[in-house]
Amino acid sequence: MQHIILRLKNIIWILMLMAGLGLILQSAEARADIAELTIGIGIDADTLNPQEQTTSLPMNMCELIFDTLVYQTTDAKLEPRLVAGHEISSDGLVYTLKLRQGVKFSDGTPYDAKALKLTFDRALDPKMRVPLRFIINMIKEVSIVDDYTLQITLKYPFAPFAPSLSQVLVSPISPAAIEKYGDDIRQHPVGAGPYVLKEWVKGDRIVMVRNENYYGPKPTVAQLTFRIVPETATREAMLRAGQIDICYKPLPSNLAALEADPNITVEMPLDTRVIFMGLNCKKGVTANKLVRQAFNYAVDKKAIVNKILFNTAVPMEGPVSPINFGYHKMEHQYGYNPEKAKELLKKANFDFSKTVQMRTPNGRYLFDKQVSEAIQAYLQAIGVKTELRTYDWPTYVAGLLKPIEETELEVFLLGWGPMVMDADLTLYGQFHSSVNPPKGLGAAHYSNPEFDKAIEESRLEQDPQKRLALLIRASEIVWDDCPWIWLHTEKFVIAYKSKIKGMVVTGTELFYPTYVTIK
Amino acid sequence: MLNYIIKRLFSTVPVLIGISLLLFFMLRMLPGDPAQVLAGQMATPEEIENIRQQLGLDRPIYEQYAAYLIRLARLDLGRSARTQNPVTQEIWARLPNTLLLAVVAITLACLFGIPAGIISAVRPYSWIDYLVTTSALFGMSMPVFWLGLMLVVVFAVILKWLPAGGTGSWQHVILPSITLAAFVVAFIARMTRSTMLETLSQDFTTTARSKGLQERVVVIKHAFKNAMIPIITVVGLQFGLLLGGAVLTETVFAWPGLGRLIVDSILARDYPVIQGAILIFGLLYIMVNLVVDLIYALVDPRIRYD
Repeated sequence: MQHIILRLKNIIWILMLMAGLGLILQSAEARADIAELTIGIGIDADTLNPQEQTTSLPMNMCELIFDTLVYQTTDAKLEPRLVAGHEISSDGLVYTLKLRQGVKFSDGTPYDAKALKLTFDRALDPKMRVPLRFIINMIKEVSIVDDYTLQITLKYPFAPFAPSLSQVLVSPISPAAIEKYGDDIRQHPVGAGPYVLKEWVKGDRIVMVRNENYYGPKPTVAQLTFRIVPETATREAMLRAGQIDICYKPLPSNLAALEADPNITVEMPLDTRVIFMGLNCKKGVTANKLVRQAFNYAVDKKAIVNKILFNTAVPMEGPVSPINFGYHKMEHQYGYNPEKAKELLKKANFDFSKTVQMRTPNGRYLFDKQVSEAIQAYLQAIGVKTELRTYDWPTYVAGLLKPIEETELEVFLLGWGPMVMDADLTLYGQFHSSVNPPKGLGAAHYSNPEFDKAIEESRLEQDPQKRLALLIRASEIVWDDCPWIWLHTEKFVIAYKSKIKGMVVTGTELFYPTYVTIK
Repeated sequence: MLNYIIKRLFSTVPVLIGISLLLFFMLRMLPGDPAQVLAGQMATPEEIENIRQQLGLDRPIYEQYAAYLIRLARLDLGRSARTQNPVTQEIWARLPNTLLLAVVAITLACLFGIPAGIISAVRPYSWIDYLVTTSALFGMSMPVFWLGLMLVVVFAVILKWLPAGGTGSWQHVILPSITLAAFVVAFIARMTRSTMLETLSQDFTTTARSKGLQERVVVIKHAFKNAMIPIITVVGLQFGLLLGGAVLTETVFAWPGLGRLIVDSILARDYPVIQGAILIFGLLYIMVNLVVDLIYALVDPRIRYD
């Protein structure tokens, strides 16, 4: 009898131990069914029609609602999403898209080639407001092959076309919703993404709930609430107080404190956005290449990154962001060397009596005015007289697109952040002769036939390795010509509660809380 | 009285047309192109031109104004250039929040400011008077932005008693209304103090006292009643200012009000929203003034609008 009692006791002990262990294991296990995550953001969405968007944050929201045709990974590779696979003709002119089958929009409408064609037709329709149409402007024709195959013919070969399909601009919109809401689709977005818009209280919050019909794995978070908190300090306070779970773009000056908090995780991958001081290559003192090179030597970019930007950026070591396909660290670097700068100015017979006009936006980019003021001080330190003018963004941007005869731009701060991780969008978009204002956005008015040739060839080249070589060639030419003071590549900063695991944060300023877990 | 009100209401029409005219042309004198801001930095010049045409900004300015006035006559404020939503929808989504915050703040300001001013006037140069005047000085000098952030740090982050920002419950109103009321309460307290000091030294108060009336009755029934007209004027003006000037408080506390809408719209050169919202502010301001004038008649029997 005693033996039995002893055995029973042992069994109870073992059971209790197992239960305790189970509890411990359970508490350490990540929870994959989260009722709600609240994200503190700075701005409200103007529209949730993905074709009308230009800003990364509402684009992020659109992506959660609509998904994308393909997904560009953080290392610039393409993964299938709503397009299961694609083929490119040997001449690079025809793209055949194989659509994912068995997908439905969140309103139950089937997703097929007809639906996707409608999306493309709307994006290409000149009557529609599609600010970023240039991304797909090379499309000549879109035709349906069968229910799940779409063929896109380009006007000319354009190698970065495939990554362009990762943009929400071409994310399929439910045809039934288009018919029902018309232009008001911007208020009632219906897509095939992991989330569905539940509520949009203007200026206050945007609430999304899980799309129960989503074709992919079921999202772990049932509800995402984007709370609009314009003041960064308040957003940070809310994160510390536990009133939000994710803080979008906290203030760099407070990052050290946030990083020191064990309850908060800070992520800051490199962004595609580069910040530069444009130098007018056709007019004024900066038309001389030696002067432009001198200005590059005169500025201590590392000090700007450390002291002004609190290391939320890295100095540029090539003309595009390091995360782009086509990036190459340039062999020659313009390290801080004021003596060399003075020497080059002397060689260029620089007129020190002239006052160089500098311009800067205020509040558009991170510490833009302060960075410009630092550059002004650096230029003054090598004897260059400068005058810095500050503008609000609408006034500033109005001065960028003027033709060379009218432009007053000499030295001006600007940023450039393409959504596609491909060097072409910066190299061609800023430096090809054809983008000189007023036709394009290359406000530095840079023009070099040798560079044009290299970048044009890169657009035609379908072999990635050969294309990479051509992009590097183009980069070397423009790096030497210095149409910009090459400043820095920004980082995309996001802070969230440490118990959140598995957040995906990209350099195109996107984040995906879709499959996070909570520990 | 009714005739007076109707007359006043009719007189708002030319005032509003005046506001619309000034605003329309002044906005267009600002540098910056709404189409370019809307299109984003990467859009091509063709796309910008396309948007300009869609917004009707390529038409002559007088034609644009005429079209605007015709729409206005139909109570149509147009569509936001940024969101493409009707401006009325954008305004109505935020107006109740602005009104709520302004009403709570002005009520708080009156509840604290008027008694503080009276007590301070009744006991001039006493410790309580110094306390009130010094607090008022602090209230008026403290930057709204700083005060708001301090309240957030103390009550939301450290004590975790109240939400740091947003809307949704009565707790959300507390911190922004205190911040907004801080300046107004100081202003009202100082105004009440000086007016009360003046009335308390006048002959009719001396008469009331010599009649043997209690000091409480002298202060409230005689002195305060006579000091009310300037106080009501100040409260009315401050309320009008609160309606439009709460943008800093709205920003700190993520309060979705009209002030923030206007600032965002100015930064995006969203002309229809700026015009619509300022017109509504103008209308509210006129209404507040009308109500203040009517209250005069209630408080002072000598004022009649017949």
